[in-house]
Amino acid sequence: MTERKHHLSIICIVSAFLIMTALLAGCTGTSSEQKVTGAPTGTPVVMYEAVTTPLRVAEVTTAPVTAPATATPKPEYTPADGTVIAYTAASLKGASGKLAEGYAAMYPGRSVVFNLDGTQALTTQVENGAYADVFISASPKYTKQLTSGKYFVDGTVKTLTTNYVIVILPAKNPAGITSLADLAKPGVKIARAASTVPVGIATDAAIGNLASSTYGQAWNDSVNRNTVTYETSEPSVATKVALGEVDAGFVYESTSTAAKTGTYQSVTIPKSDNYLQTYSIAVMSGSGKKSAAKDFENYMLSDAGQQVLLSYGFRPA
Amino acid sequence: MLEVTIQKKLRDFPLDISFSVDDSSILVLMGDNGAGKSTTLNIIAGLVAPDEGMIRFNGSTIFDSGSGIDVPVEQRKIGYVLQRSAVFPHLSVSENIAYGLRARHCDAAVIEERVGHWLDWMNIRELAGVPAAGLSGGQKQRVALARALATGPLLLMLDEPFSGLDNESRRSVREVVRECVADLKIPCIMVTHRLGDARATGDRICTVSRGRITGTGDLAPDQ
Amino acid sequence: MTPSSAPARPLHSIIATAGASLLILAVTLYLVLPIIALFFRTTPELFLASLANPEVTSALLLSLATSVISLIIVILVGTPFAYIHCRNTYPGKVIVDTVIDLPLVLPPAVAGMALLVLYGRAGFIGQYANIFGISIAFTTLAVIMAQIFVASPFYLRQAKSLFDQLDPAYELTARTLGASPARVFATVVVPLTAGGLISGAVMTFGRALGEFGATIMFAGNLPGVTQTMPLAVYVNMAGDFNAGLTISILLVLISFAIMIAVRYYAKTEVPHA
Repeated sequence: MTERKHHLSIICIVSAFLIMTALLAGCTGTSSEQKVTGAPTGTPVVMYEAVTTPLRVAEVTTAPVTAPATATPKPEYTPADGTVIAYTAASLKGASGKLAEGYAAMYPGRSVVFNLDGTQALTTQVENGAYADVFISASPKYTKQLTSGKYFVDGTVKTLTTNYVIVILPAKNPAGITSLADLAKPGVKIARAASTVPVGIATDAAIGNLASSTYGQAWNDSVNRNTVTYETSEPSVATKVALGEVDAGFVYESTSTAAKTGTYQSVTIPKSDNYLQTYSIAVMSGSGKKSAAKDFENYMLSDAGQQVLLSYGFRPA
Repeated sequence: MLEVTIQKKLRDFPLDISFSVDDSSILVLMGDNGAGKSTTLNIIAGLVAPDEGMIRFNGSTIFDSGSGIDVPVEQRKIGYVLQRSAVFPHLSVSENIAYGLRARHCDAAVIEERVGHWLDWMNIRELAGVPAAGLSGGQKQRVALARALATGPLLLMLDEPFSGLDNESRRSVREVVRECVADLKIPCIMVTHRLGDARATGDRICTVSRGRITGTGDLAPDQ
Repeated sequence: MTPSSAPARPLHSIIATAGASLLILAVTLYLVLPIIALFFRTTPELFLASLANPEVTSALLLSLATSVISLIIVILVGTPFAYIHCRNTYPGKVIVDTVIDLPLVLPPAVAGMALLVLYGRAGFIGQYANIFGISIAFTTLAVIMAQIFVASPFYLRQAKSLFDQLDPAYELTARTLGASPARVFATVVVPLTAGGLISGAVMTFGRALGEFGATIMFAGNLPGVTQTMPLAVYVNMAGDFNAGLTISILLVLISFAIMIAVRYYAKTEVPHA
């Protein structure tokens, strides 16, 4: 009997010790309970490949390719700097593979891991203690919010790239949409992002502009009535369109440009009514690898990084 | 009078049984576990279908493989008390007894009269409202018997009715069974493995082994 | 008479007790503290103010309504299904047994994707419904279908287990007494398994209420139509943090009530062989 109690006490002590350690680590480190990664939004079926000559049905406003003036910086690094964790707006999902390759090419031995999600979700996570080295925001609203919350290192907040809103249609265009006016036709199903998502903010603005300049309030109301879902990230909108489950979706131009030929048709929104989304990049003040993070930011702002973004349909900063 | 001839291929051996039982008489089936005794009762009750055979009692045929007669379970007027009585634990004693009558959509007045009759007959009037789950083994057995007989069956079958009973309950159940069968003038088959109970209750005995009847005989009345 | 003094407790026994208490405390706190933190992040005024928010109330009503409907369907269809499945052997029974458990291991987002690919208007079945003008995806019906898909295993497994455990003697006796199979089911089987069935139903309701991944994939997110409470929490995480917090707290309260109900009903045992 005493022998069994002896064993039990050892097990108890060891288990209690392990649990207390785990608890302490959980309390002082990142709050993992509230961390919500991109999993709930589901994996989009369509994988985006880099395309240099996009195929369109409707009118196209070509993206001017002008490289920013920054020269490629000389790599200054220590090899054992570890992986950079980049909290990144979901719309960079397609480009993320090439960006990771490019970073490793410029700084051999380094790597980056992207946490892709709606900027609004990433902002909440960071504000609740999530750890990141770099933050790429798809909306000035959240950039301002985090800046005033002192989450960024001073002087590292830079404009990364820009993006317009576009309307994409399934390849077969089941509703026969040829113009923005058709979006108000009864029975048309539209997908867009929720108003807290950056592309949702842009969509709402663009629709508002189009209503007041050209199509009128009744058109605006009809478009709202025809909206069947407010998705929580930009790729989710694209997925619904790609599957043919909706007739139209409001996404970023980059998504449309970078998609494999024949995935979508599209209808452009005139520049004068469109909303130019400005993406920013910044080094997190809570980062433990600030020099590596700065290097990653440099890469993203360099010719190499910008070229990748342009090839995925983003516009220059 | 009950006449039974049945054949069925079971997993380990073929079942081939043939016997008859007179009205007001009790036939005991005895044999090892797995010999096919309970299966025989289940077949007569209609819960299991034989490959071939004929079952006839009270002048009507309830099963005949030759002419395709197969009366469904709920219409065979048989009172069947399974092993361990299977008294419905969620119902009271009188609700248990009334179950078969309700299932046959009898009048409320008829139900009350019959339930009352059997409560008195089995001497369990004071247990009428008691939930059946709380009864002793002997009491449950009496309720199960009353329940089976309340619908006025034309054949009574009992599978190990004495298992788990103390001596006093056993004696009273033996008496009750004998009296019922004599009173109602119906045939009765009883399966038991205890020779004492067999001799005290039964009139005739059949021994069953590996699906066949290996012996028959009369049972002398007990002292 | 020598006075017998109580023996001093040996040291390792004290350590064992301390260790055991620490272990219990640690596990309990780990599970309870995050829930408590929710309550402390808001104030009663903010909470009540959020309750007046139409988006919060519409999410609450939609969640409750769809979960209740899903539960009713699961019970009405699932109970006879489980009973027939248990009482019969049929070809492919093992496959059906496995398939019932499938939604438990499938990630909800995958389930949602699968439902969309089948019932969406471009889907294998959905395209025919679409011809008749029937939309399935992005409707409240889709919410219910997603909930049923992910939550039904909870009820079906419980019902199967109960019916398997129930001594067949009760049903056989009832048949010989003259009851039809349907009557036997209603008057004997269900009353004897009711306690366990209710506890299974409560768990099913809880799972349906908390469903997110399949819902957002198959039904989308539209306030008042498909925006259930879990979706509202996620969408409001940025923007209206207080609304998200309020809905989270509501979900916690409902979950707690569910847990208590399960513990109460799970006490009744099935009379088994």
